[in-house]
Amino acid sequence: MRKFLGILLAVAPLYAHHAFSAEFDSTKPLKMTGVVTKVEFINPHSWIHIDVKDDAGKVTSWMIEGGSPNTLFRRGINKDSLPKGTIVVVDGYQAKDGSNRANGRDVTLADGKKLFVGGSAPTEQPGK
Amino acid sequence: MATKPLFTEAEAQVYEKETVARNNADVRVAADQDVGKAYNDFWWDRGNQVVPTLRTSLIIDPEDGHVPALSDYGKQVQAERANQRRLRGPADGPESRSLAERCIVWPTGGPPMMPSFYNNNYQFVQGPGYVGIYIEMIHDVRIIPTDGRSHVPSNIRLWLGDPVGHWEGETLVVETTNFTNDSPFNGSSKDMKLIEKFTRINKDVLMYEFTVNDPAFVRPWTAQIPMSSVEGPLYEYACTEGNYAMEGILAGARQGEK
Repeated sequence: MRKFLGILLAVAPLYAHHAFSAEFDSTKPLKMTGVVTKVEFINPHSWIHIDVKDDAGKVTSWMIEGGSPNTLFRRGINKDSLPKGTIVVVDGYQAKDGSNRANGRDVTLADGKKLFVGGSAPTEQPGK
Repeated sequence: MATKPLFTEAEAQVYEKETVARNNADVRVAADQDVGKAYNDFWWDRGNQVVPTLRTSLIIDPEDGHVPALSDYGKQVQAERANQRRLRGPADGPESRSLAERCIVWPTGGPPMMPSFYNNNYQFVQGPGYVGIYIEMIHDVRIIPTDGRSHVPSNIRLWLGDPVGHWEGETLVVETTNFTNDSPFNGSSKDMKLIEKFTRINKDVLMYEFTVNDPAFVRPWTAQIPMSSVEGPLYEYACTEGNYAMEGILAGARQGEK
């Protein structure tokens, strides 16, 4: 799909809809592997819920913030695309308030493939 | 590119490649900036091609393709806005956060309507006496009367302004006034009189042109954006319904105060 660049008038900042830097702590990077328990395709941002088991076997639930669901739907991704039980690796930053929330800066599947592979390069096909 | 109105094909390709690379959110950077990049590139839906007219700027008037300077009045409005902002802490409450974060209006949702980093789509619905424009980012519907009525009284100020439209041949012309000072576009003021023209130049392209007339700028200016057709449907981006992030931002600020 052709997407035109807003040259010189590109007023949109390099930030998400929300100031992620206000919500998440750059001094609390984290990387964890978890099992998907629920995916909320809600506005304005999607949330992926995962259960993470530590070395002692204790399970902690985390919420991972993603982007606009509209973008995903347009690329053919829906609730069935990330079924319960899928193992994902989250590489992001923890919430400033210390709760078990993080941004999904990079979310990959267990085999190392990026979750929702795609991109904005002209040669790439969305959703592939 | 200020003195050059058009790209050559080769220049356009280089520009596209450089811009896509610069915007690539998959590239990790230092933590403090990295957290601002939010999530990887898949979630973003930025442009990746220059407009088919190969213009180097969307602004067609003035010729240098730049937004004109603010007038003294424009600077005064901007200073007042900044001063109002300074009276509040960064996250004292939801009112301290931006209109966009509060899901009220999006700075490029318009009018005038500009592409942003995702949800850059519009749906036009035309009926007797009205044209409706659904703006995907962030949820607004502009209802434009085309029955010849005049603007609402000047004491009524609206986030999206008050539009009235008429047809000039195949072109829908919309004049919007009654803005506020709180949702500026590139420094615009409540006194902006915006003229937008929509012309479907072929099956797939709706040419969108807007002219900003506003004493906040030293002169009027005009931009042109070809809108390309996409497959529907558009999903409702009812931003307020699951705005967990607002809670997260405020909780983060309270934590920081401890």
